[in-house]
Amino acid sequence: MKMRFRLVSLSAPIIALTISFGLSSLILLIIGKDPYETFKIMFEYGIRGKSIVSIINRSIPLYISAIAVAVGFKMGLFNIGVEGQYLMGSLIAAYIGAQFSVITPLHILFIIIVAVTTSSLWAAIAGYLKVEKGIHEVISTIMLNYIGTGLIAYSLTTIFDEPNSNYDLPRTKELPESGKMPPLNTLFNIEDLQDLHGFLVVAVLVGIFYYWLVWKTTLGFDLRITGSNPIAAKFSGINPNKLVVIAMITSGGFAGLVGLGPLLGYFHRYTIDFPTGLGFAGIGVALLGRNHPFGMAVGALLFAFLQRSAQILDLNDVPKEIEQMMQAFILLIVVVFYEVIRRFIVKQQIKDASKRTDE
Amino acid sequence: MTRMKSKWLILFMVFSLFLVACGGGSDDAVEDVAVEEPAETLDAPATTAAPAEPEEDPMGICLVLDIGGLGDLSFNDLAYAGYEKAVADFGMKGTFLEPEGGGENRGELLELCAEAGNDLIIGNGFLFDASMNEVAPNYPDLNFAITDGVAEPGNVRGMLFNHAEGSFLAGVAAALKTKTNNVGFLGGVDFPLIHEFEQGFLAGVAAINPDIVVQIGYASVAPDFSGFNDTVKGKEIALAQYEAGADIIYHAAGGTGTGMFQAAKEVSESTGSKVWGIGVDFDQYYQVGNALPELQEYILSSMVKAVDVSIYNAAKQTMEGTFTGGANVDNLATGGIYLSYSGGYIDDIKDQIDSYKEKIMSGEIVPPSARP
Amino acid sequence: MKSAINIKNITKTYPGVLANSDVSINVYSGHIHAIVGENGAGKSTLMKMLYGMVKPDSGSIEIFENKANISSPKEAINLGIGMVHQHFMLAKNLTVLENIILGIDKPFLKNIKLAKYRSEIQKVMNLYSLNIDLDQYVDELSVGEKQRVEIIKVLYRGAKILILDEPTAVLVPQEVDELFKNLRDLKDNGVTVLFISHKLDEVLEIADEISVMRSGQMIDTVLNSNVSKIQLAEMMIGKSLPVPPPRATSTSEVAILKVENLKSQDEDGRNIFTDISFEVNKSEILGIAGVEGNGQKEVVEAIIGIQSIDSGKITFMDQDIKNKGTRERLESGISFIPEDRQLQAMIMDMNLTNNVIIGRQNIEKYKSNLGTMKTKNAVKESEKVISAFEVKTPGTSTLATALSGGNQQKFVVGRELEDDPSLLIASQPTRGIDIGAQALIWEKLRKSRDEGLSVLLISADLEELIGLSDRIIVFYQGKLVKELDAKNVTPEDLGGYMTGLKK
Repeated sequence: MKMRFRLVSLSAPIIALTISFGLSSLILLIIGKDPYETFKIMFEYGIRGKSIVSIINRSIPLYISAIAVAVGFKMGLFNIGVEGQYLMGSLIAAYIGAQFSVITPLHILFIIIVAVTTSSLWAAIAGYLKVEKGIHEVISTIMLNYIGTGLIAYSLTTIFDEPNSNYDLPRTKELPESGKMPPLNTLFNIEDLQDLHGFLVVAVLVGIFYYWLVWKTTLGFDLRITGSNPIAAKFSGINPNKLVVIAMITSGGFAGLVGLGPLLGYFHRYTIDFPTGLGFAGIGVALLGRNHPFGMAVGALLFAFLQRSAQILDLNDVPKEIEQMMQAFILLIVVVFYEVIRRFIVKQQIKDASKRTDE
Repeated sequence: MTRMKSKWLILFMVFSLFLVACGGGSDDAVEDVAVEEPAETLDAPATTAAPAEPEEDPMGICLVLDIGGLGDLSFNDLAYAGYEKAVADFGMKGTFLEPEGGGENRGELLELCAEAGNDLIIGNGFLFDASMNEVAPNYPDLNFAITDGVAEPGNVRGMLFNHAEGSFLAGVAAALKTKTNNVGFLGGVDFPLIHEFEQGFLAGVAAINPDIVVQIGYASVAPDFSGFNDTVKGKEIALAQYEAGADIIYHAAGGTGTGMFQAAKEVSESTGSKVWGIGVDFDQYYQVGNALPELQEYILSSMVKAVDVSIYNAAKQTMEGTFTGGANVDNLATGGIYLSYSGGYIDDIKDQIDSYKEKIMSGEIVPPSARP
Repeated sequence: MKSAINIKNITKTYPGVLANSDVSINVYSGHIHAIVGENGAGKSTLMKMLYGMVKPDSGSIEIFENKANISSPKEAINLGIGMVHQHFMLAKNLTVLENIILGIDKPFLKNIKLAKYRSEIQKVMNLYSLNIDLDQYVDELSVGEKQRVEIIKVLYRGAKILILDEPTAVLVPQEVDELFKNLRDLKDNGVTVLFISHKLDEVLEIADEISVMRSGQMIDTVLNSNVSKIQLAEMMIGKSLPVPPPRATSTSEVAILKVENLKSQDEDGRNIFTDISFEVNKSEILGIAGVEGNGQKEVVEAIIGIQSIDSGKITFMDQDIKNKGTRERLESGISFIPEDRQLQAMIMDMNLTNNVIIGRQNIEKYKSNLGTMKTKNAVKESEKVISAFEVKTPGTSTLATALSGGNQQKFVVGRELEDDPSLLIASQPTRGIDIGAQALIWEKLRKSRDEGLSVLLISADLEELIGLSDRIIVFYQGKLVKELDAKNVTPEDLGGYMTGLKK
């Protein structure tokens, strides 16, 4: 029976995907482009070897960001601050990590610990403000994003800056070789392609850990019941304040890992070019994946696929903005259909229950 | 019930935030505003260069723009102008791309251009250096060029400009024209590249009259690069400088500079005494003047940085097979940097400006390009 | 006599469930007609069809002797049918007047026509002798007054037939009297009232005719004068009422819970409760009586640590628990059945296996040293509760929301009792559930009490309170005003103390 409901749940994203492809086709037709050709080009480009590596690399931070958001979502907490949290964590980790050299595994572990600690401390501020001062986390995390951006800008140009010849663009010192995460290319026999970030391994572990934490531990249970019914949670003996702080710190901890894929695998330093916006993108992926570790993985890969494959569009005279529209369509429609499906399942269960009562 | 509603409300807020975040990268709504007047800055004989006769497989040129993309009335539009003219004149197959936020994408786009078999691939901006180092070595037969930067591989041309020289002349013009003995400098982003403009300008002003006050303002500080595309901020800073007595402001702020011209118009009209702005990159008398004609009469001059010419020339050399890599500095002597006389507002001081130009070209004066 | 509603041979099936089977009922115009039946007997389905929320499979409905095809509540309203739901649909932060016209008019026209609406509504109120201050905010109204607003709202929209769904469930006795007076006034003015309830005393007091439903079928429709309470009850549950067994054991003198001089104030410095002292002995049910809002709910929440206190002492099993968190108190042997099962006791979108461990998720039985949940134990426990408390469900993986109210409540009570607590705090343990479930819960509470459990019972159902309790304490305006021996107290006495009429 549970299986049946799982299959039904799965239909929501598929319907959303189909409709959004339909809508995007319509828009392509309106602007005079052939939708079939367009999607064909995108698809063919998207499944090339280099594209696949790029898609996986892109999906790593997206996925971890989604998990960071999802931990909060699970207890009804909206951590909009993943953005600021991961940028702070990445900067501090990049700076401290570049100061010394040890054997690679230790070095990377150290960088991870620094990033996670920094980000969770930054997130804890929002938790503290909510618990002690009653400030809603949406407000405080958004504000902390701004403050974080300012702090990063300031410290990157002053204390963390490494003078350089390229207009002295603000950037930290490059990580020593031992702090660079080796790519996984040899593992998959794809040496001819660009680096497949080694952080993929961490992302997979993070997914498993997230699943374990939320669905297998009592802490996760506390998060989930607080998320669906905060009053009952309180009556069950949960201290909501404590849980808010724990959830915020956990979410921030995951956020700390968001920037490490690009940092350890590609940039090897914090620069003005360091990818931003991943924290916000994670919100979309978490919505799409319904906070489920597998769903979010699919969502992250899907968005990464769309982003990557859209690059080819400009070469074919199709505005690549169509890809952003598709992402938005998918999110909008999927939210609606998840609710429709949820109601359907509840109805089915009520029917099953009354059938039983009837017998 | 109310809980339910607020949940959806927050969800909606979050969702809109997400969309804003996604869409933030590309506000290229104003598309082809700027590409009208490229000929002004291009060398006249350009068209005479013998184009390869149209064959089945034309040479390809691929331009990867910087963040901000088309419509910035500045750096990107300028590069696009050169690119477009090259496509038109030489019958090249043109492609232009715009990157997303993250830096990894730059490399991917360069690679995309290379894979598509383009003969000349241009990364428009100093941020492309790392990606050039990464991609260019894999395609030794193709030509690469980077604006305002240099890269290691031998097949990459670094298209550099001596901003200090041109800015020095802008300073000379401002110092000669000011009636209040008070001028301003509006920088886009506070970092060394823009310091070249600032220092050159200061030196130029001081060369005429060291007692002239120069007010300096920046729209943002690196690593925040929004200052190149913030008209509102540009207007605010310019208004403050005009109010504090400046009657001429020189900007090196990309799209932000449009706000300065707006401020000049506003102040001139409200106080009755005319104040001026000096443009940058393009000959803005035409470029801003085309898009916003009402601002034209406030554009005293422009410090032209002919990125379009550099790109055009790189394309031409690619066609002819004479393209070479390595750093290539344009300055007053090469003509890649010059002060514009469009509008005729500084025709009367042309002699003085020319004499300083001579001194710079002869090496008698070396305008400083870094802060002391 | 003219017929207001004539339902003929209506059948409604949901896949696998026969909700209404060949139901016929005739309601005379100007009568108060009650429909009684256990939860799940088919009353709600019938009302939903009448109000256009559900479409019947077969059969016909006549309204005022005209064939009607009611496909939406809007059409029902046009036909003169109005419904007052059990849960009020009022906007708290608007005035009574604004609430009544809400949905009739566009808000931006409100100011222009307000005076017109006011006089029209006043006319309706005068006609039916319903009084309320139109300018008061709904937030400030008592439950009974809110209900009156709902009634006025429906009448103002032109209802000639008024459907009331369990209208007395939320009211205190005095408010019930007031409601019944209003209903009689309505009746005198020609309004037909359809009254859904399972409180037989009330039905017998107010209704002209009574229809009894059971298992989706209409058992019978009888005149009030021709039927007794026992007969009605037997028709409803199809078997004789359970007789409470006499108390088998006696109360011990050992105090399990001792509350001394409890006091709590709100932010404005007003007393929520003050000077509260009482004891619950081993093997005793102590009942707490009080009209809602007199501090009893807060005192109980203070005992489990949700409501903060300013001074006083709470001793449980000889330990001062005042400074302990809710979780520690629950784990030390206090079980709690909150008054609202859906809002406070269960997670509706979780299954029963998850719901069984709520409130005890951190004890060793359900939590490993690693911090993981011991799901197997939870499954076992939920199976135990389901069988011991006859919870009707397809299985342990069914969502809580899929169960009927009675089954949800049985599950919650079972969860709390199967835990072997030393003290059970039961707040409204049988509110809004059917007689069968009620009887089962009563029996289980008595049995546990006889086996040594101490129970603190709060109930608005005075018969339940008197029938179950050994002693009863009465709260009035945040104070404990009276202690009574449950053996010789009547509901009327209790009502007097609760409303401050008796001292």
